[in-house]
Amino acid sequence: MIIYLYDGSFDGLLTAIFDSFTDKRPLDIFRQEHYQPQLFDEIISVTTENDKAQRVADSILAKLSFDTYQRLYYLYLSELPQCDYTALCYLKMCYRYGASIYLAKNNPLIHRVETYCRKVTLEAHRFTGFVRFIELAPMIFYSKIEPDHNILPLLQGHFVRRFSDQKFMIHDLKRQYALVYDLHTPYFTPLTIEEGEHLLTSKTTDPYQQLFAVFFDATTITQRRNLRLQKFWMPKRYWQHIDEAHD
Amino acid sequence: MTITEKLAILADAAKYDVSCSSSSSKRVARKGNLGSAAPAGICHSFTPDGRCISLLKILMNNYCIYDCAYCVNRASNDIPRAAFTVEEVVDLTMNFYRRNYIEGLFLSSAVIKNPTYTMERMVLVLQNLRETQHFNGYIHVKAIPGASLELIDKAGSYADRMSVNIELPSQRSLQLLAPDKSKNDILLPMQNISQQIVQNRAERKTLKKSPHYVPAGQSTQMIIGASGESDLDILRLSAALYDKFSMKRVYYSAYVPINQDKNLPVVAPPMARENRLYQSDWLIRVYGFQAHELLDEKTPNLDMDYDPKTVWALNHMEQFPVEINQAPFKILIRIPGIGIRGAQKIVSARKISPLDFNDLKKMGLSVKRAQYFITCKGRYYGTVSCEPLKIRRALKPQKTASPHTGYEQLTIFDQLAALNGEI
Repeated sequence: MIIYLYDGSFDGLLTAIFDSFTDKRPLDIFRQEHYQPQLFDEIISVTTENDKAQRVADSILAKLSFDTYQRLYYLYLSELPQCDYTALCYLKMCYRYGASIYLAKNNPLIHRVETYCRKVTLEAHRFTGFVRFIELAPMIFYSKIEPDHNILPLLQGHFVRRFSDQKFMIHDLKRQYALVYDLHTPYFTPLTIEEGEHLLTSKTTDPYQQLFAVFFDATTITQRRNLRLQKFWMPKRYWQHIDEAHD
Repeated sequence: MTITEKLAILADAAKYDVSCSSSSSKRVARKGNLGSAAPAGICHSFTPDGRCISLLKILMNNYCIYDCAYCVNRASNDIPRAAFTVEEVVDLTMNFYRRNYIEGLFLSSAVIKNPTYTMERMVLVLQNLRETQHFNGYIHVKAIPGASLELIDKAGSYADRMSVNIELPSQRSLQLLAPDKSKNDILLPMQNISQQIVQNRAERKTLKKSPHYVPAGQSTQMIIGASGESDLDILRLSAALYDKFSMKRVYYSAYVPINQDKNLPVVAPPMARENRLYQSDWLIRVYGFQAHELLDEKTPNLDMDYDPKTVWALNHMEQFPVEINQAPFKILIRIPGIGIRGAQKIVSARKISPLDFNDLKKMGLSVKRAQYFITCKGRYYGTVSCEPLKIRRALKPQKTASPHTGYEQLTIFDQLAALNGEI
């Protein structure tokens, strides 16, 4: 099998798609960090080239649709098995049949694209609610999350618009980077778990955290306990960073 | 009394209000101000009863002068009482919001001194949040029946959603269980809010800059099972509320026995009843059903074993089975087990090629119920033949009501269906 390895950036993926598009041999696309070498694999390292990525993007936007481009991005963010290869196959299919092939929900590939995209957008929506800020210093807030998919880029717009008058940082512990907003332009920066912990040492407790836990308990109707429903809406894997959550 | 104690008392006192929606408002963020409203609504946490926390749902105070039989805050109950100051509510809201705990504030109150005084205190909170703090998040405020209409109007100019609880499904029950409240006191502000909303919508069409008035609409709530009304009575009432007052939502709350009263039932109604009412409500509001299609004088109550759409379909087998490759969207959503999203998928996929039964499964549609009501390319795939009695037997739920609690154990997906509105 031919393996295209790229650096893990979205432009890298688009370059890999560009390079592999006309390759007729059986192939697969991986990010360097996710790839585990197999005996008979032949590896092609993709060097990210911005103009190749730009050409792919322009072509999609001109010949297909913005939605198609957005779906590729969601597939890239999903980090699910085979997501990169799915992106390539989906794109090939779109060029062959037109962007409206997305209507064919009974096609296994389209079904997979839809499922992956839904997982990403659902999680991004959930985290607009599940992010918990702690106040490090007056009007400076810090939050840590561990989402399944790489959703931080999707959260940027919502949080920057909503909290435009406070400085904040949302730290993705799994991917070790953070979204930072300092009242001017938001940006992403690498940030390790230790650096995150270091930020928190200056802070002992946040009184409102305690108050919200009190509210959480008081607002529960004990006669109507339904733990399965609670866990359906707020899966337990997220609870470690949602301080008030308990059953 | 500390703020923690007050919060514990006044959140506990407010929890029986069902509504927690934070949707439908398009209040856009302004640079330099805190807050925005998300049109789809955002849930921030989920309590062990499976309900979401979206808004900081609290009472201003719980010193009530009224003595409604069903209410935890009634005057004759011996419970701890507390009252927030305006500043305390504002401080809690702002600080919870900044930490992304909540989507906004849900402010209600027990009636202290008189309705107008109570409403005044609530308006002060809203005014402070919007004008002093420039808070731009979601606010849901209760209109207190009997308060002056000017005050209610003023509250409406600050709030995203307003609601007046209709409390009980008929005037007779209201007299029996809430003797201090009159039907007119409840309907007057409701009507007033609805007129103002209509007028404001029209104004905003011509004058884009004119201020919002209750942009997320008004809602109401009634208690189910504390009085003797049938499901037909209840659905007729909600249909009228949707119709006359252009309600955004009517909420149903299965009565929880908190108080002892000679006029109240001792056991709680099954939770399934609340669930079935929500399903019917959704069918009427979203799926284009009429109340009389679901229930009539002969069968005034909803079936607890089958969802209302299945019951309707079983009574109208002359319209089934439906060919999924031809039926229009309006008919597709009437098939039991196929909701809005499922119907959209079918309509979308069949543009490319005709669908067979396996395609439906591949699309992720549940065919458990739908199989008995559809044909694919002319073929029927149900495990029993298409006769009402046989289908009824095939769909009979396996679980029985638990004899101990009086609560029926629902499967998670039935409850979800009620919450998503997909039936």
